[in-house]
Amino acid sequence: MKRLMLYPILIALLLCTASKLFSAAKVGEAAPEFTATASDGKSYRLSDYRGKYVVLEWHNNGCPYVGKHYKSGNMQRLQKEWTGRGVAWFTILSSAPGQQGYVTASEENEYVRKMQAAPTAALLDPSGQVGHLYDAKTSPQMVVINPQGVVIYDGAIDDKPTTDLEDVPGATNYVSLALEQAMAGKQVATTTTRPYGCSVKYADSGH
Amino acid sequence: MLLACATCARAESTAIPHGTLELVAENQWIAAGHDFNLGLHFELESGWHIYWVNPGDSGEPPRVKWQLPEGVIAGALQWPTPRRLGTPSIVDFGYQDAVTLIAPMHAQVNLVLGQPAGIAAQVKVLVCREMCIPGSAQLSLVLAVKSELSAPEARTRNLFIAARKSMPRTAPTNWKFTLDEEKGAFVLTANVGHEITQAAFFPLAESQISNAAAQKLAPTAAGFRLTLQKSDQLLKPIERLKGVLVLSGGQSYLIDVRVGKTGTAKS
Repeated sequence: MKRLMLYPILIALLLCTASKLFSAAKVGEAAPEFTATASDGKSYRLSDYRGKYVVLEWHNNGCPYVGKHYKSGNMQRLQKEWTGRGVAWFTILSSAPGQQGYVTASEENEYVRKMQAAPTAALLDPSGQVGHLYDAKTSPQMVVINPQGVVIYDGAIDDKPTTDLEDVPGATNYVSLALEQAMAGKQVATTTTRPYGCSVKYADSGH
Repeated sequence: MLLACATCARAESTAIPHGTLELVAENQWIAAGHDFNLGLHFELESGWHIYWVNPGDSGEPPRVKWQLPEGVIAGALQWPTPRRLGTPSIVDFGYQDAVTLIAPMHAQVNLVLGQPAGIAAQVKVLVCREMCIPGSAQLSLVLAVKSELSAPEARTRNLFIAARKSMPRTAPTNWKFTLDEEKGAFVLTANVGHEITQAAFFPLAESQISNAAAQKLAPTAAGFRLTLQKSDQLLKPIERLKGVLVLSGGQSYLIDVRVGKTGTAKS
């Protein structure tokens, strides 16, 4: 009897390991499908955006690396520019409840309003499911997906891995570069970089 | 009580987020034509950490900008062996509690005798626990310039002794390492003359191996084989893998291994 009870646990463990090993997003491969509820209360499914470029932005409003891009207005400028050019931009919040950076829908709406941010939607991912699917390590980690649903960029937002606001103007922005090159029918030159920032605060983060 | 410190090897510590930082000198006075050591001594509140030269998956290492008198040249910071921090899926490399980074300095022959050498350092450091707080500190000290280098200064001596003890050492010359590539992984083979049952590798460069992946150790009669999963960010072949190898008992060694040809078995 006891032995039988173990099987569901073992199977669950195996599934956990398997999903970690095989489904993490990789540049050049299909972007893993997800559905998530946004701070606007609506549900968003990645595959509904087939035919458009999609940007995923991992966010944590208490992270100084994220703060650099919001206080300087850089992130909002990117969101406005690219959504203006038909790109779907999803800000993703993967902090687990009780972890630093976790916010409710209304808190996130307030942040978006106050910062004048302009993503297509801010997806709430308290379970970390979307974060783990993309193996998101940091905020602000950035992923770019092409209209065919293939990951064409995964990594840092730019080439200045610091918290200094003064580093924003001179930085090479990898997201804009990938989008510009892909939209011009060119090969994306830099497809993968080390994502810099604060660690994503998943449920397994210690205290 | 405020002590006027005309020439002293230990300035007062400066506050950084959740800790203190102090610029220390190993020698009370310095001399033209001699090397000497300074140190950045961090003390952190329980639970907070700063980062190694390769921070791992998140964070960034402390950075220092020196303001030095003419005739003094700074070398590269020396980093004690870090510890693995973070979570099962996001792994960082860094230090908790206290750490001293040694800054080797050289006083050139043109350093003016008798004129105190003012040394200043602008340090930027990221201090993290669940959250990260960037801090900066402006540190300074003044060292006398005499005709001979002083013996280590008593007050700072222990800090430097501890720092050196925590630094990885050069591996013995009779130890042999080879590195082979397998699909998606590097296999580090060590021949040290005896079985090793515990080993962990810390890569000096970012984006070569996966920080979070388990390092699979297979002890052998002459040492071990350690399988290191490649980083997803590693897009080009690498020629060498440099890093710190920590063995049972915490002894750590700096190794620099050339990547071998695929499939060749060396011993």
